[in-house]
Amino acid sequence: MKRTLVVLFVAVSTLAAFAGGGGESSEKPEAVTVVLDWTINTNHTGLYVARDLGFFEEEGLDVSIEFPPETGAAGLVLSGKAEFAVSYQEEVTYARAAGNALKAVAAVIQHNTSGFASRSAEDIRRPRDFEGKAYGGWGSPIEEAMVRALVEGDGGDFSKVKIVPIGSMDFFAATAGDIDFVWIFRGWDGIAAELKGIDINYIPLATEAVLDYYTPVLIARDGLLQENPELVRAFISGAARGYRYAVENPEEAADILLEAAPELDRELVVASQRYLAGEYTAGAPCWGEMKLEVWERYAEWLKENGLLEGEFVPEAAFTNEFLPR
Amino acid sequence: MRRSASIVTNRIRDRLPSMAAGLLFILLWEAFCRLLGLAEYILPAPSAITAALVRQFDLMLPHIGVTLFTAMSGFILSLLVAAFFSLIMDLFPVLRRALYPYIVVSQTVPIIFIYPLFLIWFGFGLTAKVVVVVLVCFFPVAVSLIDGLQNTDPDLIDLFRGMRAKPLQIFLQVRLPGALPNLFSGLRIAATYSVMGAVIGEWLGAQTGMGVYMMRSYKTFNTPRVFAAILVVVIVSLMVFAAVSLAERFFLSWKYANLRSKS
Repeated sequence: MKRTLVVLFVAVSTLAAFAGGGGESSEKPEAVTVVLDWTINTNHTGLYVARDLGFFEEEGLDVSIEFPPETGAAGLVLSGKAEFAVSYQEEVTYARAAGNALKAVAAVIQHNTSGFASRSAEDIRRPRDFEGKAYGGWGSPIEEAMVRALVEGDGGDFSKVKIVPIGSMDFFAATAGDIDFVWIFRGWDGIAAELKGIDINYIPLATEAVLDYYTPVLIARDGLLQENPELVRAFISGAARGYRYAVENPEEAADILLEAAPELDRELVVASQRYLAGEYTAGAPCWGEMKLEVWERYAEWLKENGLLEGEFVPEAAFTNEFLPR
Repeated sequence: MRRSASIVTNRIRDRLPSMAAGLLFILLWEAFCRLLGLAEYILPAPSAITAALVRQFDLMLPHIGVTLFTAMSGFILSLLVAAFFSLIMDLFPVLRRALYPYIVVSQTVPIIFIYPLFLIWFGFGLTAKVVVVVLVCFFPVAVSLIDGLQNTDPDLIDLFRGMRAKPLQIFLQVRLPGALPNLFSGLRIAATYSVMGAVIGEWLGAQTGMGVYMMRSYKTFNTPRVFAAILVVVIVSLMVFAAVSLAERFFLSWKYANLRSKS
């Protein structure tokens, strides 16, 4: 009697697990491709967790994670070569303004965790201190506008800041020479500086509300959202579980990422993962949620600075509709 | 026997200066890094690079295999494609005039910006990377073969014509052998390009390969590993180069025999 009960219980709970995981357990998992935005790093951990711990599988998906071309993955999503990609608010904004039907479907991190970093010897404590210093960037007009916004917002004189293109040179190499400050990700370069024992001053972009945009975000094309909303919901739900797992178990999540890319520096990945655990869902009711005002504000700011042409409808650029409730 | 022994000692004597220069360069490099206490992200010392290479070699091995496979597939494919185009362009002068400029154009395409399209056309598999290799290798092979075929000694052709040789015979016995030295110069250049082309393809978007390995090492600020990977790429390229030179000695044994008898 007892045994039958146990068997029954196991059977029912297995069924429930399958049903809860999106059902259709007998069907073949649907193949889905997601393209990263950059070299594999801790921003992507949730995707690898969801893939390797079977969260995607439970949603009935067979997800393959691909690495992007140097010019980003938006084109691959638009052409239908990939269902999803990791992107950022700026790219989606430009894509929409240019008439491309891309949408952000989840924010990977709630706040902009990037900012301007300098070696502490430069004594750059606030944006006004950028005066007379050299900024090393990759030569995009947006960077200039960022630096200008911060300096002038702090009562400084932007014309006294020197802007020098340094290509893809990293923070440490650049600031060892003539460059004084660089735009970095707190969760990667900033953590690396800590590990290397290099003292830095860090001015986060998110201190200016207008610069606190979503980076990175997951994107899909409008067509897919209309044709196959179940697939989108399943994917986001799997990814959300992956990121929640990374929030709760940063060390284990770091191990999963390192298994996918053993070439990465272990110490850096683990430390970065611990930092991001506090950031993925910071201040949001659930992972991935985006606010309209963030999309409005940033696009408005781009326009005011003459950096965005074409018609941009913030409401069309993102949706929270597919997030698990 | 004695003669071949003296050839070996001669060759060692020939290479001694370059080996000594290389060794001296590495020693100076090491001393430079140590004396100035340079941080690794500015310039890693040879000892640090060697250590990274030894520790990472197991991890690198599958990446090396993938890169070599991509490079060789592209190299062989570019030889076939180039041979095909060279032959039809040689057969039909109109085609040569029509197509030759575009062979040059193929070399000027900035791959970085075309590559995303390759991914869309060919997907994420091997094909897109092989196409990059073909694109960089095609030019030197095609141009050297076309030029080789065009520059056959006219007197030699007249001689064969006088002996009533058929066009096919002239092609197989005079023009093609005459073009082989040219072809091999092109192949040697293509051999070094092929590994580089594969690495570029991987750097632009791939799952595995030395380009991926380097990108990941670079993005985690591990400069010694980047240099160790560069060293591996250099060695692999030299091995491919040596293989082509070996093939040249086999196919052009007559040329080397002539050289030896002259010297």
